[in-house]
Amino acid sequence: MTPFDSFPRFRAQYDGNNQEFSISGVLRPQSIEELAPSMALLRESIARVRGVFHLNIRRLTQMNNTAFHAFSRVLLDACRARPDLKFVVITSSVVGWTTQKFGRLSGIEPNIAVEEYDREFYPGQSFLEDGGFIPILRTQTKMTWRHERTVLPRHGMRSGIAMADICCGIGDFAVLAQKEFQPARIVALDHSKSSLAYARRVAADFDVRGIEYTYGDASEMLLDDDQFDLVTCRHSLQIFNKPELILKELYRICKPGGRVYVTNEKMSHCLGEPRSETIQWTYDELAKLFAYFNMDLEMGPKNRRYLVDAGFQDVRAESFMVTNLDGDPQDFADIVQSWEDTFAGEMSLRRGDSREFVDRFRQGFQDHIFSALHPKGYAGWPVWVASGRKPS
Amino acid sequence: MNNAPETQIADPSFEAMIEVGMEIHTFLSNWRHCDCMSTYLARMISHNRSDSVRHSNLFSAAFNELLEIAFRTRLPGGELACKVSRCGPIERVELIIPCTQEEQHFYVETVRHIEEGEGRERYLSSVSGDLSPSREVVLLELVIDYDATLRLEDVNGDAIKLVIDLPLEGLSH
Repeated sequence: MTPFDSFPRFRAQYDGNNQEFSISGVLRPQSIEELAPSMALLRESIARVRGVFHLNIRRLTQMNNTAFHAFSRVLLDACRARPDLKFVVITSSVVGWTTQKFGRLSGIEPNIAVEEYDREFYPGQSFLEDGGFIPILRTQTKMTWRHERTVLPRHGMRSGIAMADICCGIGDFAVLAQKEFQPARIVALDHSKSSLAYARRVAADFDVRGIEYTYGDASEMLLDDDQFDLVTCRHSLQIFNKPELILKELYRICKPGGRVYVTNEKMSHCLGEPRSETIQWTYDELAKLFAYFNMDLEMGPKNRRYLVDAGFQDVRAESFMVTNLDGDPQDFADIVQSWEDTFAGEMSLRRGDSREFVDRFRQGFQDHIFSALHPKGYAGWPVWVASGRKPS
Repeated sequence: MNNAPETQIADPSFEAMIEVGMEIHTFLSNWRHCDCMSTYLARMISHNRSDSVRHSNLFSAAFNELLEIAFRTRLPGGELACKVSRCGPIERVELIIPCTQEEQHFYVETVRHIEEGEGRERYLSSVSGDLSPSREVVLLELVIDYDATLRLEDVNGDAIKLVIDLPLEGLSH
């Protein structure tokens, strides 16, 4: 046995319930004989199914031509032997060459379709990716940063560490973290190409160096295991319908002994005085609106449970309140206005809300702005923070 | 194996990044050398690309295929040498592969096919064919899927030098 033999390679398995054969990992055999058990399983799997057969290669990060030819040969032969079957190859946009490579099979056999599973992705992404939302994202980060810069050191942030910011959005948190704490390395990952393009532009304009912006799916990242001392994921678990999948990945890329840091909201706890009742109603409804789109804007206090369930130790949890008294009250008002524009606009429309509902819904946001700008008013937006240590 | 910086590059617009050399019999002693070397070099050169992870994945995929070609050499002696340099969005791989006269003829013919524009058709027919992918198919794929340009330099009695320009930074996939 050589040191190479212990390297993780690939995994092939069949899920009969979904008629899905999946291949993951690095697949670089010297000869097709090495693939014999997997090829046999693939043939047996195809023989068992009716209707549609799925070949899932979402988590296939490398495949050499020897392996590609072997698997495609089985698919092409099966197409000819079983014209009753449809074959769907499921790829990831993150590993774009797989779509291109397997796409050639569609040109040979029309019964083979290739689909990028993340082309129409996370339900919340389309609402928040719009370029018009970017200025407000920057304002939000500016306001939360006033708190987080003092919170972060309690959760593992320090100079010289290797850090990953997953779901980094427009990358402003990574820039602030770099300026304040000087980590040795920052990888900032997001699934929005437009946000990453913006982040790179900002980094170039301000001559910010040392942040590696990368396109990726937080639930299936290309990043290696055990790489980072601190993994941050802010305001993002709450907009995924399966946050436990993301946490599993955050855990995987975190070094043993390192920490994963998450922030989430509980929007029904947004508050304001005066006009507290209408404000309360609107934010209660906001949480329900997000729930309709499978997003949990009430997740904040659940951070601790999620981290414990994901296997983290030494879980630390706290919260802070962003208020109109943090700097310029107009910043707070601008944030709330953007919430109204997006949530009482496109989201409400897409749910099919009535005009009466939308008018009342908007009023709560306007009252929140009123409280923020009122000379004696108080407006708050609470954020829950938690981190956990990956066992050594 | 060494990874000293290159001291001389023919094209001064390309900046040297990394150089790896290995006795061919050592290289041929384990197939996993292809995977390990391509993964290592890909990480080393990609960290300052606009998307380091994506670039590393693409470079590793392309470079591994080149190393797998080298692994199939029929000449057991000599040294495998690889240099990677960069000019803007392009990574240049210069690969010296010990090989027989017959193999050298094959490389010359493959490059000729590519230059004459026959690459795409030959590649597509190979995907639907029954035969295992040949070294020619692997090189054609680099041209078609990675927009690579290929040329041969220093074809001599015991080795060839393949020069491959990979514009991975600008690829859409």
